[in-house]
Amino acid sequence: MNKTKHSSHIGVKTFNSVMPVLLAFVIGAVIIAVIGENPLETYRIMITKSLFDIKGLTRTLQVAAPLFLTAIATSLCFKANIFNMGIEGQLVFGGFMAGIVGHYVTGLGSVPHKLLCFGVSILCAVVFALIPTLLRAYLRVDEMVVTLVLNYAMARILEYLSSGIFKDRGAGYVATPPVQDSAKFFLMGTTKVSPFIFIAILVFILAAFIMIRTKLGYTITAMGKNPSFAEATGLQTRRTVVVLMMLSAVIAGIAGAGYMLSEKTFYTLDFSGSPGLGWDGMLIALLGRHSPAGIVAACLFYSALKTGVEKIGLYTSVPNEIVSIIQGLIVLFLAVQFMDERYGFMEKFRQKLAAGKEA
Amino acid sequence: MSLIRVVDLTKKFGEFTANDHINLTVEKQEIKGIVGENGAGKSTLMNMLYGMLQPTSGKICINDEEVKFNSPQDAMAHGIGMVHQHFKQVPSLTVYENILLGAEVTKKCGSIKTPFIDTKEEIARIRALIETYHFQLDPMETVANLSVGQCQQVEILKMLYRNVDILILDEPTAVLTPQEVDWLMENLKSLAKSGKTIILITHKLREVMAVCDSIAVIRHGVVVGETRKADTSEKELAQMMVGRDVVLTVSNEGGQAPSDDVIYRVDNVHAVNEAGAEVLHGVSFRVKKGEIYGIAGVEGNGQSELVRILTGMLLLKEGHVSINGEDITNSWPHELRQKKIGIIPEDRYRDGLCRDMSLDDNAVAGYFTEDVCRRGILNRKAMHKKFMGQVDKYDIRISDEYGNVSQLSGGNAQKVIIAREFESCPTMLIASQPTRGVDVGSIEYIHQSLIDFRNAGNSVLLVSSELTEIMSLSDRVGVMYKGNIIFEVDPKTTSVADIGLLMAGTVPESLRDKA
Repeated sequence: MNKTKHSSHIGVKTFNSVMPVLLAFVIGAVIIAVIGENPLETYRIMITKSLFDIKGLTRTLQVAAPLFLTAIATSLCFKANIFNMGIEGQLVFGGFMAGIVGHYVTGLGSVPHKLLCFGVSILCAVVFALIPTLLRAYLRVDEMVVTLVLNYAMARILEYLSSGIFKDRGAGYVATPPVQDSAKFFLMGTTKVSPFIFIAILVFILAAFIMIRTKLGYTITAMGKNPSFAEATGLQTRRTVVVLMMLSAVIAGIAGAGYMLSEKTFYTLDFSGSPGLGWDGMLIALLGRHSPAGIVAACLFYSALKTGVEKIGLYTSVPNEIVSIIQGLIVLFLAVQFMDERYGFMEKFRQKLAAGKEA
Repeated sequence: MSLIRVVDLTKKFGEFTANDHINLTVEKQEIKGIVGENGAGKSTLMNMLYGMLQPTSGKICINDEEVKFNSPQDAMAHGIGMVHQHFKQVPSLTVYENILLGAEVTKKCGSIKTPFIDTKEEIARIRALIETYHFQLDPMETVANLSVGQCQQVEILKMLYRNVDILILDEPTAVLTPQEVDWLMENLKSLAKSGKTIILITHKLREVMAVCDSIAVIRHGVVVGETRKADTSEKELAQMMVGRDVVLTVSNEGGQAPSDDVIYRVDNVHAVNEAGAEVLHGVSFRVKKGEIYGIAGVEGNGQSELVRILTGMLLLKEGHVSINGEDITNSWPHELRQKKIGIIPEDRYRDGLCRDMSLDDNAVAGYFTEDVCRRGILNRKAMHKKFMGQVDKYDIRISDEYGNVSQLSGGNAQKVIIAREFESCPTMLIASQPTRGVDVGSIEYIHQSLIDFRNAGNSVLLVSSELTEIMSLSDRVGVMYKGNIIFEVDPKTTSVADIGLLMAGTVPESLRDKA
């Protein structure tokens, strides 16, 4: 009997993740229909061109690699009730510095150059993450506000640097010079994916191992599910906060460098895209409910959406913005769910409804 | 004709049936006791009677007329009032203002109502009300200055002012001193005489036997017995409650006389709570080897804060704590465990267990020993084996060995903590409210474990608001009142009445010369 209870629980969880997505697609379909296109045809193109075609699928994986990492970084912190919103800032800083090192350092072999880029990126991300971490650990300053605000500070700093000393004089717009070939990840064979995806998978396996099989994972779970219990049974929660913030900064640094070396190769003001890899990662983490399998599924889905949209412009007259609309709707429905879990207003509503029927 | 008749009342929460076809009658002017263990379904039943919950099926009849309550207001309109375990009062207002809150008397200009409150009239009415029912209260007193017992009187007066005929009291004695309990019992009797009907929900059998005319016993959501008081005994009721014979107290035998070696010292501890008020004013006591030191007292006199300090959850402002001569003042919880101090926290689901984590995970919490955790990597198999060993040894009843703690009843959840703490071989145990909300069978088991632990030459600090528990288990008892231990007594030679007086803050005559 308990078995069934358990599986129905997973059923509910899956339903809760799939529901916002379905709703978003239904509303998206209405909008496509209003434009005068066939929504089913549009969705079919989106899905087949991003998942059921070797070029599309590998492209999806390429897009997924950095998102995978930012989702893991977000998830590790959120699971422990640390609301770290700074992944985006750490990622762009790390990516920027990897781009600089990738261009200005020359004469290195392929592997050492990449290692150096990753090292610098990780170091920068960690140092940047130290600000909110130390404030939180020693002065009890709310990490959510600090990490959130620092993202904007970092964006401005990088704007200054990339339009000033590090500007590529040859480019017609604000950009840093491209990285050397020795630092670049090239696409494998005829596919659209670079070896960076393997690094992402490795990090994912490590993170899953940490969550399931280590005392650190135990501490994360305990802090997230019952902070008082974690403290009372002697888990060193304050130290864990520091460790986790650093760990997620390391992952953000890897994501930033990887994205720079495998996809962008130079820094532009829209380096991380809109809304940004860090924010996309947060969305994926929430959609996947912080579980390893959930994150894999959500990440592939989300990347497929991003790849698919590059194709629908070619085959239909549906504007690319449709994906932004669907993304926005997913976020909206997720937020409703999140609030409901916090405050249980759906339950109250149901009770009121039941009471109203009886009266 | 019965005043209240409940017919086949059923309440389901999802698949769980909290009340299963309850049939119950309450006669006019009687005091009806509803007894049962925690979680038996007493509160669900009363909440339906008071309109806070709506029954899934069945009906409630008052004066043979079927009623449906959608809110407490409906119940109140039918003359049913409830005094909750936790009072709903405004501390900064006076007694009369609290009683009249929401039913203020306004000044009248001719026959037209004005929005101005007629304070004089209000005070006069409340004074008259207090006199009618022989309560001991000053209507002008601020509620913040009242004792818990007096706050309860205010709550009862609130109901009486609103002309309630049927008064439901939910665990009214949980927070009272023995003297206040006696006073309340007398008053309930005289209220019944003056025409009110009273329903008393409790799990304390002694009180039921003292005042009730008839008694209903609820177990697992079913009424298992309904008798008149004259036809039953305390023992029989206890048997009905748990469904088997129980020994109400364990024998406190087998221990050697405690030696004079002091194991655990607490010296002059001062502490402030979150609001910045000083809640402990220089608490000092010693626990000797092979002794159970009990701390008695009405809840809210600083016991919780003291335990939080001693278990590393709150910093003390001044003072010292030491074990075996080693200073452990303001040590972290993991440091305390390294010093062989076991901890059974007051709130087991907050500090002792994590409901949403697996049983295995909970069984190793606080003790990541070499066999289950090496270099930060957990050995899941060993954790499971360890827990299953505890299941057998401590008779923990589980339905799914890979499930979460949330599947366990209160008693079994407490046993998970007990097993975990005892298995780590402590020499000193801090146990706070170890049997709160635990079924009678488990209480017996937990008491026996504590005694066995002491008999093995270890020391226990026992903090509990259950006076009988403290009296039957402890070798010495310190009574706590307003943030200090005001007196230490030997429970074997002290009467319950004397400890009751101490709990209320006065040192009785018979103990004065010993001081």
